[in-house]
Amino acid sequence: MEPAHDQKPNVLMVEDEEDTASLIKFLLERASYRVVHAKDGREAQSLVESMPVPHIILLDVMLPFLSGLQVLSYIRNKPGWDKVPIVMLTADGSEHDIKRALDSGANDYMLKPFNPRELTTRLQRFLSRPA
Amino acid sequence: MFPVDHADLSIRIGIMAILSIYTAIILLFLWIVTLRVIRHSKDHRRQRVSDIWRPLFSECLLGVPETLPALDARDQVQFLYLWNHYYESIRGEAAVSLIELARRMGTDRFAKQLLRARKLRRRLLAIVTLGHLGERSVWNELSALLDADNAFLSFVAAKALTQIDAQAAVSLLIPVISKRSDWSPLKVVAMFGNANADMAADTIARAACQASPDIAARLIRHLAVTRSARALPPLRTLLSGGTAPDNVTAACLFLFGQCSDPKDLTMVRSYVTHPTWYVRLQAASALGKMGLEVDEARLVALLSDDIWWVRYRAAEALSNLPSMTEEKMAALCGTLPTVESQEALLRFIAQSNASKAGAKPVPDRSVA
Repeated sequence: MEPAHDQKPNVLMVEDEEDTASLIKFLLERASYRVVHAKDGREAQSLVESMPVPHIILLDVMLPFLSGLQVLSYIRNKPGWDKVPIVMLTADGSEHDIKRALDSGANDYMLKPFNPRELTTRLQRFLSRPA
Repeated sequence: MFPVDHADLSIRIGIMAILSIYTAIILLFLWIVTLRVIRHSKDHRRQRVSDIWRPLFSECLLGVPETLPALDARDQVQFLYLWNHYYESIRGEAAVSLIELARRMGTDRFAKQLLRARKLRRRLLAIVTLGHLGERSVWNELSALLDADNAFLSFVAAKALTQIDAQAAVSLLIPVISKRSDWSPLKVVAMFGNANADMAADTIARAACQASPDIAARLIRHLAVTRSARALPPLRTLLSGGTAPDNVTAACLFLFGQCSDPKDLTMVRSYVTHPTWYVRLQAASALGKMGLEVDEARLVALLSDDIWWVRYRAAEALSNLPSMTEEKMAALCGTLPTVESQEALLRFIAQSNASKAGAKPVPDRSVA
């Protein structure tokens, strides 16, 4: 499946913290993204099965039911999803998680607390890359 | 008559007991209902505060909204929890907007009142908020809390002080850090790390020089996290005095190894023959990180040490020296005088062979 070609780029955001999710959603919607939110690893897994391939995925490392790293492996093994840029969201200082995520196929990471401008710039960088 | 009276008394006691049980059940039921109503009302209020303020806090990513709704006095605590959570989720200009919003809502005044609350949780909430707001007017009150019996309270106050004015907090905190064995050194490092890693390194090293040996050793070992060489000058002075206790010396050697400043090489070398085994061990490890070819002989000598851990670390250090090759290690192994020293080195020769062959190295579960 190819990413849906629509005017607004789709972002799959997997984040369990309601406040952080609300901040990111607000920020991305203001920047003209369409955001699909999964609150935990299981919901993310079922969305991966049912939704069209998004343009980018924002994935928290610490999630209920399935960790972000498990979801990452699941996504990378799903046909058609192996090239989707994935940006991991991780707590400050967890270098071990960052290394594991990058080794498992993540494209980039953002440390929490995050700088809103930095987040949108990083996402934009992936979207402006040639397919 | 007596049997009738006795029966009557028994019936009365029975009725009283049943009534008491029923009353207790009803009271318990009412208590549960009351708790549920209170809980429901709190949840409802919490949800209402979140529904109103969440979008407004999000809008702060772009700037403080022009008009803000009134904040009910009963909602202020919930507002503070939500505000702090948002504040701690973001960095940059948006955080400044959140501070402006909080001040417009009178949060600073409310947090100051809360600082004198009886409940510990509320006092902690007030301290954290005032720290985020950079509220200078509570400096003295927060300073007084540094000596609080409750480690958490004192630590949160210290953190708030560094947020308000990190430079001014340093002189206050050095003697406190050197005394408080109940503060986690890692958290102390993180507390300053938010302000500046060099400041953290310098402050903690100076505090370690004043602290008791146990506290000093813990602080120094955790200084490696700062990755700052600013910690080294006070510790060099401490070691060159020659009076540092062995555990402090070992911690300093660990840090010297982590920082690998060539200036410390001579001092590290001087400890490979120290009478205390864990000092020799740390000297060997440090040499493995910063040593030169001339240090091979020192490490080879440590392969014959009486203590297994020292032999192990010396062998590891030898294998880490940039001048060491597999061939040299194999040749060296044949010249070692004891089985113990050969065994120590063989492990690292095997690891080197395995990694060369592309095998996954055996995880090092050692503790020393």
